[in-house]
Amino acid sequence: MQGGWLRRWRSAACAFVASLAFVAAARAFEGVDDPALRTRVTRLENGLTVLSLADHTTPSVTFQVWVRVGSGDESRYTGLAHLFEHMMFRGTRRLGSEAHERLIEERGGRVNAFTSLDVTVYFEDVTAEHLPLVIELEAERLAHLDISRESLASERQVVLEERRLRTEDSPEGRAYEALRALTFRAHPYRVPPIGWRSDVEAATVEVCREFFHTYYAPNNLVIAVAGDFDEADALARIERAFGSLEPVSAIPRNPTREPEQRGERREVIHFDVKAPILAAAWHAPASGHPDSEALDAASEILSGGRSSRLYRRLVYEGQQALGVQTGYDEMERAGVFEAFASVRPDAKVARVESLLFEEIARLRDGLVSPAELEKAKRGLEVRLLAGLGTSHALAFHVASDFVLLGRVRPLAERLEAIRAVGADDVQRVARSWLRDDGRSIVQVIPPRSPAAGSAR
Amino acid sequence: MRHRVPAAVVGAVLAGCAWFGAPPAWELPPPPVREGPVVDPARLHKSRLGSGLELLILEDARLPRVDLSVTLRRGAGSVPPATAGLAGFTAELLERGAGARDALALAEAVDALGASLGAGADWDSTSVSVSGLSRDLDSLLGILADVVLRPRFDAGEAKRVRSELLAALEAARDDPSTLARWNLASLLYPGHVYGAPLEGTPESVAGLDAAAARAFHARVFTASNAIFSASGDVDPAELERRVQALFGAWPAGDPPPEDPAPPSPAPTERRVRVVDVPDRGQAWIVLGHDGLARTDPERTAALLMNGVLGGGAFLSRLMTRVRAEEGLTYSVSSNFALRRRPGPFVVSTFTRVPEARRVVDLLLVELERMQSDPPGPEEFRRVQTLEAGRFALALETSAAVADSLVELSVAGLPEDSLDTYRSRIRALEPEDMAEAAERWLHPERAAIVVVGPAETLAPQLEGLGPVEIVKP
Repeated sequence: MQGGWLRRWRSAACAFVASLAFVAAARAFEGVDDPALRTRVTRLENGLTVLSLADHTTPSVTFQVWVRVGSGDESRYTGLAHLFEHMMFRGTRRLGSEAHERLIEERGGRVNAFTSLDVTVYFEDVTAEHLPLVIELEAERLAHLDISRESLASERQVVLEERRLRTEDSPEGRAYEALRALTFRAHPYRVPPIGWRSDVEAATVEVCREFFHTYYAPNNLVIAVAGDFDEADALARIERAFGSLEPVSAIPRNPTREPEQRGERREVIHFDVKAPILAAAWHAPASGHPDSEALDAASEILSGGRSSRLYRRLVYEGQQALGVQTGYDEMERAGVFEAFASVRPDAKVARVESLLFEEIARLRDGLVSPAELEKAKRGLEVRLLAGLGTSHALAFHVASDFVLLGRVRPLAERLEAIRAVGADDVQRVARSWLRDDGRSIVQVIPPRSPAAGSAR
Repeated sequence: MRHRVPAAVVGAVLAGCAWFGAPPAWELPPPPVREGPVVDPARLHKSRLGSGLELLILEDARLPRVDLSVTLRRGAGSVPPATAGLAGFTAELLERGAGARDALALAEAVDALGASLGAGADWDSTSVSVSGLSRDLDSLLGILADVVLRPRFDAGEAKRVRSELLAALEAARDDPSTLARWNLASLLYPGHVYGAPLEGTPESVAGLDAAAARAFHARVFTASNAIFSASGDVDPAELERRVQALFGAWPAGDPPPEDPAPPSPAPTERRVRVVDVPDRGQAWIVLGHDGLARTDPERTAALLMNGVLGGGAFLSRLMTRVRAEEGLTYSVSSNFALRRRPGPFVVSTFTRVPEARRVVDLLLVELERMQSDPPGPEEFRRVQTLEAGRFALALETSAAVADSLVELSVAGLPEDSLDTYRSRIRALEPEDMAEAAERWLHPERAAIVVVGPAETLAPQLEGLGPVEIVKP
């Protein structure tokens, strides 16, 4: 079908927002017209930013509220950003607890939210006729949220179950939580977004309210709406629903930066596992850094696909691991390069560790071959494209860039940066970031003498 | 580059609108649901080669990508329990060398295109899929044809795959939800392959080798048993020509035998099993019994009834009761596993260990309440619109539509099933919910599995039925 949303150039003349269109000049990617370039950026008087991207070839519309607050902004109570995210579903002065999600669901929509180190994101995916309801519901809870002692008490238990599920009873979750806390000594990124148990148990209604008034202000919000909707009508409705929210003058941010790491850090966690876990991390730059694409390429060379160096060394030829994954995780104020391996029950975690670090050293010591580099860059490009297939993913991609970089990043810019990576860049970033004396290592292994001796 | 909306302008626009003083949108009746056809007939091309190979091509040029797959109409449920896991083992071995390429050369060829290749088995089907850029279509098709038609079944690779699968089965025991599912299946279907994990048991996998995979391939991988599907930026006529060239000589083969049916009813009385994993703060709870087959004429009513009970939404009875009201879990859901033969009905959740019994009781109470207090018109209507809308959202991408069409063909259901689904939902009445709950829910003979520290769990679970304690 021709005339699809990436192949046509769409007229930007509609209603009163026409003059506000964000236009950037960048070449299209092999006939693909860039969704970022078709994104309209609108700023309301109260500081609220709206990113809109209409596309009538898809049957749905996604509405996402990105709040620039994450666990990295917490001070006294860790896990507060996430606990509060849950409270956003527990009713307003006009709507009962859970009414928000019921109203969406009974119209066939999807509704949920998540909290990261940097942001809290609420989203609804619906068919176009329900967008007006979604806009009003999102505005309603921002204007009239009602946090009661009873709902907090019950929701706190839900969050503690989530913590048990994802972290306390999960070897992977334990490894991840420990690795972040080991990598960051000072920076708030050391705290898991779900928070430490004792803080989640202690947070009060007053603390939640204060958090709400501090961070949930229009000048700290970005709304992304993408898919099948009437842009002029939606922008007018958003202005009407959100326009009266009062901005705040100052939004507090944690000033702490991570001091330089001088020497390897290591932690061992005893957990009753059959398959031990090896996790390692290195400090890496924050989002938007010029080394980003070279770090992505390094990760691709290490673990992208079954011909990658680590898959071959650890899984296929070595038969030491069930799987291995690396990744450059770019956050707003810092980054990490991480490696996770699931060790085979019949293998040794120490062996997996030495093989992993041999491959990291190889990246520093030699240049990758042209073919290997091309393969890695191709993989990054194809995946970038594959991540634009739904309106939800598209809005997520554009909004995430906007929140992290402060602007809509053209697809072409990202692609050009990927294409510009040379073998010397991969070696350079491996040497500057993946240093032995800057790494942190977590092993999850069974207790030496099982606590429950009868378990054998 | 960013601009501010002058407040005065916006104010002026708003003042002239009928919105002023309007009631909130949630107090208005929901707007009528817009319903177009799910599958645009202009983009869908269906045909069949002389060998019986079914072709299903969905054109979508919005992104320069293509998803290709070949699906066989038999899967993990087609083998006896002694060789459980054979379909998945065979599929994995397909990726370990085909045509002129050994395992590493095949991986290199796929990765060089930035493509992804996957082969796997579900209960009802086995499939190979490959996706990448549409400009690489020829190379992607070549890889797909090699993997489907010319796998090497190298003995050394078979040994390696077997060893990897055994290690993965052992490692999977670290996951309490997996332990819960496996144990429930073994309680429901002893002596039948549905009683084993999809991937097989350590005993069955230990016996698999290249010869077994070769035999499964010869029996199941035949043209008359296969569906080729493509979605993305392709020219259907041109693609059909290439598929004819690559797959035209594939022999039709004999129709594979029907999957063996599991015993019914399963189980006949309530049973409780505790899987002892001492070092955990959370207990995983699953309970279930036999359900219905993929093609059962009553499946739509059963699915809607399950939507009211615990079909995955916040508004389900189980989520309302166990999560929202009691704060006992983060998630609870129920579902009918629709397979060629009747698969299980399963309720699944988790809670802190001391509350395990309370949660089991709540689950049983809610199952019973579906029968004693079935959904009224309002509750029924909500789930009706929920299901219709979810269905449309799930089919947002052409790849998802193509997958659904393939799945219908595997099941032998009418090809217009996607287009008629919403009208079939609309045709149901609240009374159908009561009937479905009566017919398809059996709390009185549900098998119950709880994974966690047996020392504290077993005493809690007394009185529900005979309790057995097993090691993971």
